[in-house]
Amino acid sequence: MFKNEEMEINLGPQHPSTHGVLRVKLRLDGETVTHCRPMIGYLHRGVEKICENQSFFQGQVWTDRMDYCSAVANNLGWAEANEKLLGITVPRRAQYIRTLLNEFNRIASHLIWLGTHAMDIGALTVFLYAFREREDVLDINEAFCGSRLTTTAFRIGGLREDLPPGFEKMVRKFLAKFSDCLEEYEALLTENRIWKKRTIGVARLSAEDAIALGVTGPMLRAAGVAYDIRKAFPYAAYAEMDFEIPTRTEADTYARYQVRMAEMRQSARIIQQCMDGMPEGPVMAKLPKILRSEVNEVYHATESPKGEIGYYLVGEKGSLNPYRFHVRAPGFINLQSLPKMAEGGLIADVVAAIGSLDIVLGEIDR
Amino acid sequence: MPTPTLTQSIVITFIQCLMVVIFVFVVVPLTVFAERKVLGHLQQRLGSTRVASGHVGFSGWMNRRMWKMGKVPVVSYWRGIPGLVGDVLKLILKEDVIPAKADKFVFFLAPSISMVAAIVVFAAISFVPGTFFTFPTWFPYLGGLPVSGGISDINVGLLWILGVATVGVYGIVLAGWSSNSKYPLLGGLRSAAQMVSYEVPLTLSLLAPVVLSASLNFSEMATRMAVGMPVWALIPQVIGFLLYLTCGFAETNRLPFDMPEAENELVAGFHTEYSGMKFGLFYLAEYINMTVVSALASAFFLGGPWLLPFGLQGLLNPYLPGFLSWFAAPHAIFFVAKIVFLLFTYIWVRGTIPRYRYDQIMAVGWKYLIPLALVNLLLAAAIRCFVV
Repeated sequence: MFKNEEMEINLGPQHPSTHGVLRVKLRLDGETVTHCRPMIGYLHRGVEKICENQSFFQGQVWTDRMDYCSAVANNLGWAEANEKLLGITVPRRAQYIRTLLNEFNRIASHLIWLGTHAMDIGALTVFLYAFREREDVLDINEAFCGSRLTTTAFRIGGLREDLPPGFEKMVRKFLAKFSDCLEEYEALLTENRIWKKRTIGVARLSAEDAIALGVTGPMLRAAGVAYDIRKAFPYAAYAEMDFEIPTRTEADTYARYQVRMAEMRQSARIIQQCMDGMPEGPVMAKLPKILRSEVNEVYHATESPKGEIGYYLVGEKGSLNPYRFHVRAPGFINLQSLPKMAEGGLIADVVAAIGSLDIVLGEIDR
Repeated sequence: MPTPTLTQSIVITFIQCLMVVIFVFVVVPLTVFAERKVLGHLQQRLGSTRVASGHVGFSGWMNRRMWKMGKVPVVSYWRGIPGLVGDVLKLILKEDVIPAKADKFVFFLAPSISMVAAIVVFAAISFVPGTFFTFPTWFPYLGGLPVSGGISDINVGLLWILGVATVGVYGIVLAGWSSNSKYPLLGGLRSAAQMVSYEVPLTLSLLAPVVLSASLNFSEMATRMAVGMPVWALIPQVIGFLLYLTCGFAETNRLPFDMPEAENELVAGFHTEYSGMKFGLFYLAEYINMTVVSALASAFFLGGPWLLPFGLQGLLNPYLPGFLSWFAAPHAIFFVAKIVFLLFTYIWVRGTIPRYRYDQIMAVGWKYLIPLALVNLLLAAAIRCFVV
């Protein structure tokens, strides 16, 4: 008598909780998701192809515009990949400043994630609390490089200039209050019954699946795999820093929340060490007038707030721009795990899963 | 006291209706304004501070000066209020888009059902037992006549309220269905399931006051719950209040139970396809429903027009010294103050906690609230049997 029919529904590309222009094709049986496919490409600009037509210096501005929430981390990867390709050694002071800014960027990115993720699940207030502190981080960005979001913070070979006067005071002021701020967010969420109900056991992604799908970053660490490129293949000044890799074994949305919160604490710790042990010296290496690649190809991976961001550069020896350029974008590869996490759950869980992925479409579509 | 003739009582009822409508249309926009302000301050921002381009005129100049001096302009605290007028104007003047494949008649009907069901409930709500005020003798035609505290304080008042309030769900379901679109359909279905299941614990939690006060008449219940209860009745009153408030949040589709319109999942739920004043009617209905739920909670649990909640007034009154006798009597102002406090609670909760998932809402309703409401009813019955 009754006909049982599955309903196909498009979550996005214009939808409040798909973080930009992600479109997810869902097939629903009532409220249960039986089929889930992310559709991407709405923000494709051809960043990689554009970079192939520009000099090594000019490419960096495009890395800002990939994952615009963690521009500094992208800049760092680009700069280091190019330094490898061009055979340049960066002064120690520049390494420290890069590490410091990179960790600030991790905090800013995680704060955006926290705010939007909590908003997706319905906690409105955390969003504005998190953005309040992010504002301070952006002020620090602005003090250093004059730009808040698309920073283009570094140069190949080091930094454009040294830290501005008053920078240390800003950093110390931020560090002094940040742990209290984190406690404020956690007071609203960590022990909140509804938050726990909405996140514990939701959107599970086991360590095996995560590794098979190439998932990296907090998503992987929340599944119990302590893989962090800052420890595994230290770059910048991370070899000299003392910090821990927070992991959880539950592999659900709540575990990802805990991992990211703990990562923010570790980032503050690294910033403290950078500030205390800041060496003196120049911030820019001696560079030739015209940069020509020394080796043929290079793959350099760094730990961006979202996961492993890898830059694959092919440069014919002696050429002025990369011959081929490819980005291993963490968001793109992490997004592959969405069907695995969302199928079998409810619509509300899809939203929680997208939130816990921490995606930025600028990076996925490039 | 003269007895009114039929015409006179019709005129008085008309005046009462007018007063209630004015009350509703004052409270609702102020709640919207308070929501912006309170939520703003909960989230460390100011909320609405100006009309769209509030840089003109004297106060605009003053605002600019104060911002320049690094201060929050004092005038700006109230300058969001004209914005409400702007909002209403916008809703009325906006183009009313009807989707091509919508069922036009039902699409038109749904917001009216929601709105009417919400506002008609007020017929049985009495703001103060007995006389609200008496017309002065010099008043033409109605001089010396009393005006009661409610439009019609019928002896099945609660039944009327629950019955009519339930009709409101039709508005939402029909809106979801007639839009002929997927998100509204899901929103409408969710809301049907949610509101039907929360109707049960809501009614059960209201049955405890019915049992305790042995009445269905609104003002009689309020009076007995406030001043005629023994100490023991405190327990079912407190439990009942918490239960009722939880269900009330679900009935009015507010966070943490705002499933039908969960914006991060279903865009705008059942009213996704609505625009203009049709959307405005849904919006109004939601806030009127909030006021109704607050009114019931404050009448049956928080002592209604008396000062103290949970029947404490009746325990206190014998000991109250003579010069404080004003506080021993019922006043509409207390009733309204409690409504306002509960409306604030709505906003407060919205700023604090996340949203439940659909299946979790159902689990909470059926597994916890209904059994608890039954236990509470049993408790009330026991107190009714052995104590009262």
